[in-house]
Amino acid sequence: MPEIVAERYTGASIKRSEDPRILTGTGRYVDDIKLPGMLHAAFVRSPLAHARVLSVDVSAARALPGVVAAYTGADLEAMTVPGPDVLMALMGAPGPSPEFTLLATDKVRFVGDPVAMVVAADRYFAEDGCDLVEVEYDDLPPVANAAFALDPSSPPLFANLGDNIARPHSRSEFGDVPATFAQADRVMEFHIDVHRHQNVPMEGRGCVASYDSDLGVMTVYAATQSVHVSKIAVAMRLGMEHDQVRVLAGDIGGSFGLKIGASREELAAAAASRALGRPVKWVEDRGENLTASGQAREESFDVRAAVSNDGDLLGLDVKVVIDTGAYPGMGTMVPGIMQEMLPGPYKLAALGFESTAAITNKASYVAYRGPWASETFVRERVIDLMAKDLGIDPVELRLRNAAERTDPPASMITGRPLVGVTTRESLERVAQLVDIPAFRRRQAEGREQGRYLGIGVATFIEAAPGPRSPEGPSGPMGTESMRLRLEEDGMVVLFTGQMPHGQSHQTTLAQIAADEFGVPFEQVRVVVGDTAVVPFGLTGGSRSATMTGGVALHGARQLKVKVLDFASQLMEASAMDLQITDGNVWVRGDPASAIPVSEIAQQAASGQFGADVDANLEVQASFDGGEGGWSGGTHCAIVDVDIETGLVKVERYVAVEDCGALINPAVVEGQIRGGVAQGIGAVLLERSAYDQDGNYQSATFMDYLLPTASDIPRIEVDHLQTVPLDADVNFRGVGEGGMIVAPPTLVNAIEDALAPFGVRIREQHLPPARILELIDAANAT
Amino acid sequence: MVDITLTVNGVTRTGSVEARKTLADFLRDDLDLTGTHVGCEHGVCGACTVIVDDREVRSCLMLAVQAAGSQVTTIEGLAHDGGLGPLQQAMWDSHSFQCGFCTPGFVMQATAFLAAHPEADEQQIREALSGNICRCTGYQSIIDGVLLAAQRTRQG
Ligand code: FES
Ligand code: FES
Repeated sequence: MPEIVAERYTGASIKRSEDPRILTGTGRYVDDIKLPGMLHAAFVRSPLAHARVLSVDVSAARALPGVVAAYTGADLEAMTVPGPDVLMALMGAPGPSPEFTLLATDKVRFVGDPVAMVVAADRYFAEDGCDLVEVEYDDLPPVANAAFALDPSSPPLFANLGDNIARPHSRSEFGDVPATFAQADRVMEFHIDVHRHQNVPMEGRGCVASYDSDLGVMTVYAATQSVHVSKIAVAMRLGMEHDQVRVLAGDIGGSFGLKIGASREELAAAAASRALGRPVKWVEDRGENLTASGQAREESFDVRAAVSNDGDLLGLDVKVVIDTGAYPGMGTMVPGIMQEMLPGPYKLAALGFESTAAITNKASYVAYRGPWASETFVRERVIDLMAKDLGIDPVELRLRNAAERTDPPASMITGRPLVGVTTRESLERVAQLVDIPAFRRRQAEGREQGRYLGIGVATFIEAAPGPRSPEGPSGPMGTESMRLRLEEDGMVVLFTGQMPHGQSHQTTLAQIAADEFGVPFEQVRVVVGDTAVVPFGLTGGSRSATMTGGVALHGARQLKVKVLDFASQLMEASAMDLQITDGNVWVRGDPASAIPVSEIAQQAASGQFGADVDANLEVQASFDGGEGGWSGGTHCAIVDVDIETGLVKVERYVAVEDCGALINPAVVEGQIRGGVAQGIGAVLLERSAYDQDGNYQSATFMDYLLPTASDIPRIEVDHLQTVPLDADVNFRGVGEGGMIVAPPTLVNAIEDALAPFGVRIREQHLPPARILELIDAANAT
Repeated sequence: MVDITLTVNGVTRTGSVEARKTLADFLRDDLDLTGTHVGCEHGVCGACTVIVDDREVRSCLMLAVQAAGSQVTTIEGLAHDGGLGPLQQAMWDSHSFQCGFCTPGFVMQATAFLAAHPEADEQQIREALSGNICRCTGYQSIIDGVLLAAQRTRQG
């Protein structure tokens, strides 16, 4: 069994190298960029959910002083190469491919759909210009929910599809579903709803596109999770060669899945820059962000659970309908992951899974932190509902159903081996940290005084990266590349395709490489955000800890071999006898022989070595994830529900997690706390609400409520001892877990608090008014 | 256009602005002080917070012309010679932030609050910062940074 060896930097909460610039206001976010001659774009957006566009008149806008250009949808089509949504094509989204234009041409499909673009000397003038654009619409019946969308009588949003189905209905079965249900003592049925909510990074989307007509080169300064994906999107839509497009990115103010590639508005800004020969900036305002950037979740589930009277969850049969909003994309891809992950760490004998994705007149469904998370919500809700019906303690019930760690490992009924999973340890640890019997006594006393406390537990696993498949040669998440170089000033430079937007890669990757290569932390520089110098990559899917941490480790090791080989010629010693510590190469046992790595690099660059000596101190490394492994854990919330006001106070929150070997505990804990805060927000506050006609109701921060420092408690984080699987790389992803498991944790706690009323909860959004309704409804029955 | 003169981070600055231009846009666009961020333009997120005549102000809600004649401090003005002030240092030590977009607002809000309430406890700090939104951190690390700064100040 591999062991995790203590290192100097890896595993310590090293202070972030990103912070000095961030704390002094000298970070560089996309809206901070100012180029000579730069223009500003603003968009006219649809006020209607579904309508035919009869005419768009931009002449008055064009005539306004300060306005440089105004474009209709037809103009933009003429300026670009028609084609499907590049991101969806790249990701291989299943299902039909609907018409895709940068601005609406013949139809608008959601409130906020861009219809015209005005480019002006500043943003104020651009918005003045937007006010002068005249659009004539002919209303169409809104398709405001998935149920109507699936009704054949609903008007199709896309003429080329003929219906509103983005992902045709499909069903898969694992294990013997009919037999499992036939043999079960009971079959429980539920309908469970997850509401629409959204990423809301504090910085919205945006870009500055700058076309150099002399060189024929487009430079885009982007806020993106991947500069290369953005580049491909720009090149394809603008009909340019890939080497004519360069995408750069600096600091990015969060994303959580929203900023993958280039959006329609960003592509329109790039097209305008090319047409005008001047840089064009577009930075969305908060209204645009909430209305039009994209939204997530909104899934409804019909669940049947086959259960034994002793508390075994034998099988699940789940039907999901996803509301993908107007322009299908991520929502068509999520069901596949939900299906695979639905068994979680439990010993299900059978799973039936059916899915359909519907197109509606709402903002498009986008990836949001743990996009498939509703499978965990459904499963962990079912377990608690089961526990209530059977009168078994929910922690006991989970322990009873969680697979033991065996050799060979048990597998999920959907296929992946549950190797190294520490679900049982995490449940036991939660029970230790939170004295549940003591809580039950306090709860009973509280109830006598009219105080409703509740405790909830939920557990999850996340394939971050997931285990290596026993049959396949490829790793669990493809491969990750990195270029590493020793510079003449002694800096070890890492070029990575990761595009951090809060994840602290400039710190964490440097920690790993510094340890492996043998230089001080300050002597490693991490270069990101420039397609001209970094390899392909994407920050997302909790991949970077394993994949990029791993390639940093192996790459630094390779670079070290190369540097020592070269140094062995200079130092007339065998490379086997050389080592690097603290930035010096020295012959083992002879400290006086130490030479700084900078000097080695300078010698290598001097050009005095023949062709037989490899003096290029650079390596190209790649990593396939090694043995991989699971992340996971168990969370516990204690809540206090005020039954007069419906307000829920989170009194205590405990997160027991296993994300493998920690690179930087403070960074890990920040990821967990941030994800949990988003999960708490999703349950208690946040909702992307539409009325029955598809009018958006949550376009400001007065309507879309985000949690503040008064809503989020201290979140206690406890790190479990992990089970190492790989000889070298046991770091695992932790970006999404908090957001995946916090909603069921909290809802389970709220239901426990309301147990005296017999409340059963089958939904995720529980603002005060809804809590009161649930109590009233339970009282009435 | 209106001509205005004000003091920003101790330096006299002049500008000629449209009456409708916000102080946030004036600082960012006209003075190139892009440390102040705009997260909502409607007064809720607090990212744009600056200090105007010793009081914290949402610079997205104040017009540049309203700031004429005032003393304005932005995040760029907190520390000199490129270093970190005590609050910034404590926030670095506490791993307070992730993406950093909310940071200027929290730093300015906490600066104003600590100046007036050096003895504040966690609950008071949470309340004082509850008008600022951070989407990344869950707030605990930010609160810890402010508590650490307050404690260090008290210990001299
Ligand atoms: S930008 Fe001023 S409060 Fe949000
Ligand atoms: S650190 Fe990202 S919004 Fe606060």
